[in-house]
Amino acid sequence: MALPVTRASDSLQPVEIRVAAAGLVVLLAALVLGWSPLIPVAIVLVAGDYAAQLTIDDARLDSAAPAFAGGLLVTAELAYWSLEERSDVRGEPGAGFRHAAFLAGLGVATILVASLLLALVDAVRTRGLAIDLLGSAAAAAALFAIVLAAHGQGRTGH
Amino acid sequence: MTRAGSPRIEGYAVVAAIGLVAALALRRPELAIVAAPFAVVLAVGTRLARDPRVAVELRLTTDRTVEEADVEAALTVRAEGVVDRLEILLDLPPGVEVADGSASLTLRLRPGDERELPITLKCTRWGVYAVGDVETRARDPLRLVVWEQRFAGTHQLKAYPGPIELRRILAPLETQAFAGSEVARAKSDGVEYADIRDFVPGDRVRSINWRASARKQGIVVNERHPERNTDIVLFVDSFVDVQGTDRSTLADAVRAGSALATRYLERRDRVGLVGFGGVLRWLHPGMGLTQRYRLIETMLETGVEPTYTWRDVNLIPAKILPPKALVLGLTPLIDPRFIAALSDLRARGFDVVAVEVDPVPLVEEGSTEIEQLSYRLWVLEREVLRARLEGLGIGIARWGSLDLETALEEVRTFRRYARLARV
Repeated sequence: MALPVTRASDSLQPVEIRVAAAGLVVLLAALVLGWSPLIPVAIVLVAGDYAAQLTIDDARLDSAAPAFAGGLLVTAELAYWSLEERSDVRGEPGAGFRHAAFLAGLGVATILVASLLLALVDAVRTRGLAIDLLGSAAAAAALFAIVLAAHGQGRTGH
Repeated sequence: MTRAGSPRIEGYAVVAAIGLVAALALRRPELAIVAAPFAVVLAVGTRLARDPRVAVELRLTTDRTVEEADVEAALTVRAEGVVDRLEILLDLPPGVEVADGSASLTLRLRPGDERELPITLKCTRWGVYAVGDVETRARDPLRLVVWEQRFAGTHQLKAYPGPIELRRILAPLETQAFAGSEVARAKSDGVEYADIRDFVPGDRVRSINWRASARKQGIVVNERHPERNTDIVLFVDSFVDVQGTDRSTLADAVRAGSALATRYLERRDRVGLVGFGGVLRWLHPGMGLTQRYRLIETMLETGVEPTYTWRDVNLIPAKILPPKALVLGLTPLIDPRFIAALSDLRARGFDVVAVEVDPVPLVEEGSTEIEQLSYRLWVLEREVLRARLEGLGIGIARWGSLDLETALEEVRTFRRYARLARV
């Protein structure tokens, strides 16, 4: 969350701080109230902060994107984990450490995969109508797949 | 079993969708890279999620226990698939609690794993309990999918009332014909010395009292009291139950009934039961260990069934109330139908004793003047009722602050000095 704030220019920093703080407050509200739908709102707020900074700075390619992606995913996972642990259920010894290690591994894997993607984007960076159409189609397909996957989880069986 | 998506699915789908759309709209590939891990976790997680086929079973080492005694149990958990977090909730009925261990716990299971978790249960009140309902919630490794399942309990745990120490119990005024432990008032062959009388033909030589014969200058023989058994009928009031925070009159009545039945049966007496209330339950008088279990298990079924119809002792089958039986009423002395039934039994010549499970400590005095006045009047009315019943020859053992044995001693004293009471 601190990444967009630390890199913002002096003129934008107050706005960036406010948006990041709003994200932090929403995340805290989600944890305190135990209301999970607030978690993606907090993530989107911080990501929006980052997107605004990228658009305004208009840098070539941000090399910090993989770290930011990894950080966001781990933040979201930690928030959901915190909500799962709210119930008064006795856990196995070491279960917390095991899951923390899993999340650390997930964060590292995310950074690696995102770095590979970033390198790929840097290597084949091109513009034009065809690549825009291809990107739109890929995004639509990805969204469709996500919606299908999410819809499929709601079914009930015996 | 119910399969559902965790909140992660919707959250990650929203983040991935907004990230991808923003990447296209703003022409910033970094945003697609930020959104990609969320989309990948979703795609991989939902693709790999398989029903772990969890099976849970609670096994008890016994199906009978006593109040407040530990019952060892084991929770066996099996899974055919991988479960990153399996939440288990043992859904216990009111009156049963976990003495050692936890009713809710989490586990991590690999495919084919079987775990046995020891747990100690405890029944806080007597009764019959259906134990073994277990709810589970299993999550896949990425915790995107949740499988919830409820396993219905199959065990019936009977918790018998806790023991009450009774060194002396009430002896009935009259005994029966069979041998037992109660010294009869009649004179016959026995152990306890009763009197001497002149010898008559047919008397056994061994019963001659030689010292008395020498003094009297004629043959006299010893007379003895025989040891006989008695018939006891436990008459349990199930019209009302006055409940406090930690005890209730019906629960205490059943505890007292269980303790009295045990002690009388140990003396080879015959004990029967009448549960007099909304539902009439009875058990023929009998003796022995089997009768003890029958009595206690019948009392475990006792509960208050509200009814407004008038009931009297005519409903009770005649064989349940044998002649010369001691009828022990276990009652809070609140419902007029039960009080009338006690008076009626006394009027029919039964030896009646009421063990009053005192409800006064369970009722709060109230805060307003009217409430306090009502409370005092109610307590006075109870005193009058007790006096009226004692006037009829019914001994009252007031069991509240005193222990049961001391309360029964009150009746023993009453019967010693009030034998001439007539109905």
